[in-house]
Amino acid sequence: MNASVSSGVGSLLSGKPLRAIAALILVVNGLFPALWILLTSFKTEAELTMKPITWLPHAATLRNYSQAFSDQPLLTFLYNSFMVALLSTALTLLVSVLAAYALARLNLRFRGLIMSVIIAVSTFPLVTLLVPLFETMRALNLLNTWTALILPYTVLSLPVCTLVLTSFFEAIPRDLENAAMIDGCTRFGALFKVVVPLSAPGVFTAGILAFVNSWDEFLLALSFNSNPGLRTLPVGIQLYQGEFAFPWPIISAALVVGIVPVAILIVIFQERVVSGLTAGGLKG
Amino acid sequence: MSSGCVSRMAGLLLGFGAFAFATDASAETTLKMFVTSQGQPGIWRKVLDQYEARNPGVKVAIELGGATSDLQAQYLNTVLTAKDSSLDVLMLDVIRPAQFAAAGWTSPIASANMSSYLRAYAEANTVDGKVVALPAFADSMFLYYRKDLLDKYGLKPPATWDELATAAKKIADGEQNPGLQGLSFQGKAIEGAVCTFLVPYWSQGKAVVKDGKLDFDREAATKSLALWKSFADSGVAKKNIAEVATDDTRKEFQAGNVVFAVNWAYAWAMTQGADSAVVGKVGVARLPAVTGGEQATCLGGWEWGVSAFSKNQEEAKKLVEFLSSPEVSKFMAINGSLLPSYPNLYKDADVTKAVPWFADAQPIVETAKPRPVTPRYNEVSEAIRTTVNAVLAGVTTPADGAAQIEARLKRILR
Amino acid sequence: MESMVKNAAGRVDTRRAILSRWLDPDETTLAVLLLAPAAILLGVMIVYPVGRLIYTSFLDLSLTSGLPARFAGLANYQQMLDDPVFWQATWNTILITLITVPGALLVGLGLALLANLPFQMRWPVRLSLLIPWALPLAFAGLIFAWFFHSEYGVVNDVLGRIGLPGVIWFNSPRLAFAAICLAIIWKASSFMAMIILAGLQTIPRSLYEAADVDGAGRVRQFFEITLPLLKPTIVVALIFRTITSLQTFDIPYMMTGGGPGTSTATLAMYIHQNTVSFLDLGYGSALAVVMFGLSMCVTALYLRMIRGSERAS
Repeated sequence: MNASVSSGVGSLLSGKPLRAIAALILVVNGLFPALWILLTSFKTEAELTMKPITWLPHAATLRNYSQAFSDQPLLTFLYNSFMVALLSTALTLLVSVLAAYALARLNLRFRGLIMSVIIAVSTFPLVTLLVPLFETMRALNLLNTWTALILPYTVLSLPVCTLVLTSFFEAIPRDLENAAMIDGCTRFGALFKVVVPLSAPGVFTAGILAFVNSWDEFLLALSFNSNPGLRTLPVGIQLYQGEFAFPWPIISAALVVGIVPVAILIVIFQERVVSGLTAGGLKG
Repeated sequence: MSSGCVSRMAGLLLGFGAFAFATDASAETTLKMFVTSQGQPGIWRKVLDQYEARNPGVKVAIELGGATSDLQAQYLNTVLTAKDSSLDVLMLDVIRPAQFAAAGWTSPIASANMSSYLRAYAEANTVDGKVVALPAFADSMFLYYRKDLLDKYGLKPPATWDELATAAKKIADGEQNPGLQGLSFQGKAIEGAVCTFLVPYWSQGKAVVKDGKLDFDREAATKSLALWKSFADSGVAKKNIAEVATDDTRKEFQAGNVVFAVNWAYAWAMTQGADSAVVGKVGVARLPAVTGGEQATCLGGWEWGVSAFSKNQEEAKKLVEFLSSPEVSKFMAINGSLLPSYPNLYKDADVTKAVPWFADAQPIVETAKPRPVTPRYNEVSEAIRTTVNAVLAGVTTPADGAAQIEARLKRILR
Repeated sequence: MESMVKNAAGRVDTRRAILSRWLDPDETTLAVLLLAPAAILLGVMIVYPVGRLIYTSFLDLSLTSGLPARFAGLANYQQMLDDPVFWQATWNTILITLITVPGALLVGLGLALLANLPFQMRWPVRLSLLIPWALPLAFAGLIFAWFFHSEYGVVNDVLGRIGLPGVIWFNSPRLAFAAICLAIIWKASSFMAMIILAGLQTIPRSLYEAADVDGAGRVRQFFEITLPLLKPTIVVALIFRTITSLQTFDIPYMMTGGGPGTSTATLAMYIHQNTVSFLDLGYGSALAVVMFGLSMCVTALYLRMIRGSERAS
């Protein structure tokens, strides 16, 4: 019997060959599309119309990569996406830490109602808010700025982050906080010196959620920032297509350039992503 | 550690202000011109440099829109619904001026004289007797064919769709190449599928809209849908034609896998490019007619409109008139291979020297018809293209499809 | 900043008293202060636009009509009742939710159980688990559209290699719908698996050891220990998954555009079409309000479930 296996079905499969099969399933399922894009990025356009289709590139070329960088400012797209995602994550965390603390610690009369409202607003389809949001951004004179994306992205992630953080904060014993306050901390001091550090994994999880939400978004980014120097990756990649043409090899190369940094981040932080979710248990 | 975090976040918040771009307050007029990123903005820039040199005090900045007509429309619809004044001049797909005018998004151009343009553009850009946009460049659907294969079998470019089917079968029998398609056209639910439907429909002498009213002929529509379906069923076109978009047609033709292809002008340069298997083997002709009908084709191209929310109406109109002038049309034909919107330029010696195939293109472009000119064109388009797609996928019969289009158009064009 | 305040407050008592009124306010003031940033952001970015949307849903406002906005009462809502595309899109949306939410849950559970095995190298497994989640939705849709293409797609290629006939997926409403659901499940199961994996790792090993002593089999352990302990985790994941799938847009938009015909259109696509393409802002808004109502019903249902389970525990 293998003591390190922690789930029932898992231990049914604890033999080495079975583990290899499990790894194969996981890797094929998760990475196949990304791998396909990687292979495509080395193919020529003519190869894509071959029948039957080819898996490995016949004559591998790096031309698509050089073209991806020369046709559009790909690094600028990456930089914008990255900064917008990072800044909106920071803002989301700040705002949702405060709100989650109130929901977790204070005896609010309308706690249930507030929670419901927070979930409810996340259910409104973004598509329908496009024009009113555009008007709001223009009224605030924010069109063609990073802020025009940072603010709505923050709102987009706020509900889920607040819920995640609330459950983390609830898990922290009040005694620790009280002890800090007796030591002379203010309530805010206790929040940022005791509660937040203790729920670091939760903060991290919320941060990842917020980051990916911003990283993904297309519609607002298309509409609010028309300045080419401010475009984000999802919008930028669409620019490689023509009125009719959809050059998969070049778009694949651009996608690979876009996926690689995220993959590296995942490899670096993977332990923390999962343990972050673990520690809070993400309970309702 | 936590306090460090807090002050860093506060710093970021304070930093937000700095991201806002300051608007420059110079004395001269700066016009902003919205151009599709596929519309050769680099060459338009040269045109604008000339304009700026001739008009001191006016600067023109290009704003690049998304790559496809749909992406641009998505963006412009948002900006203009919000009555935003940041754009002055708009480059519009030929199907949009009527919609933009009805929404009050473009200003009429009173001084324009439309008689020197290709006739179809006068029609496409005039709504209720008012000129709402001026042509930027022309386009239409062509029949691309493999000159080498037609010569080999002693065939002439077909004048009717039946002739085309016969020719395709003859070539298929002779070549014995299962990878060779007789005909490629657009069956996916994209804008091109609207033209797919209209070409044989028009060929029967019918119109969709007459004097602003619906004038739909269900029988002609059924015949049109049945014609395309028969190509798929008889093997002249691929079984999965409902999956084929414009650029699939181009790629397969360019790879040498197609005898006849229905496509826009952009495909020409690519079939003659370095990656092409058919360089020098391509001819263009008018699209065939249904037997007993007249040959008809679908008008494309792009127009210049003046935003109704622009704060520089007069300057913007002046710029649009310049951009649509014969001088610029010729410059863009020679330097950007864009089809001129003036008929006489097709015979211009400089133009024919730079782009010899324009001589073949002229009779085709001259007879092209605009798709229905109506503010509710997007709905008309949706009704037609989804039905064409459903018929070609075999989900709907041609007769049911025609009835569905009629029912939907009746609701749209009351 | 915080530490400065603390030091100053620690040294001088009177200053601390003044400061503490600001920094240690009573519960209500504190609650207002803490919730204010969230409330302001939500107010400006959501409540105001939503308010306008609800107002617009009672207007006859179509920008292509060339007519000014006119109050129309419930006309837009009435129009929905005999709009076949609305019913089809709504039904498709519900069906996608009913299929992909349990689908993503089951696949996610399976992936999580596999990923929870004691691998020597964990990062390739975790990377595989997380990449689908990090791939922007629009591109996931494009890639799957290509995979299911009848000629150039890898799905038919694989079918051909194992001796099965290929099919034209997008020629048939059912197959097209199935392809869409598969793509959604692939994308959504990633996040689901991650959350469940995290849940699995919180379960104390001692519970399983005790069950071993009791002689409980592996399958029984799964149903009696693993699943009940995962329940709270799963419920939260389900709420967000359900809400997201009611808003399904990118994947069918990219894969089929709603075709063949309108057989795979979703409510979000129909709203987008009416608003952004047809510019019928009145009708589009009314559709959005209906969709919001649908989401709210689901949310309320789940909230009740959560409260129920809280009371039970």
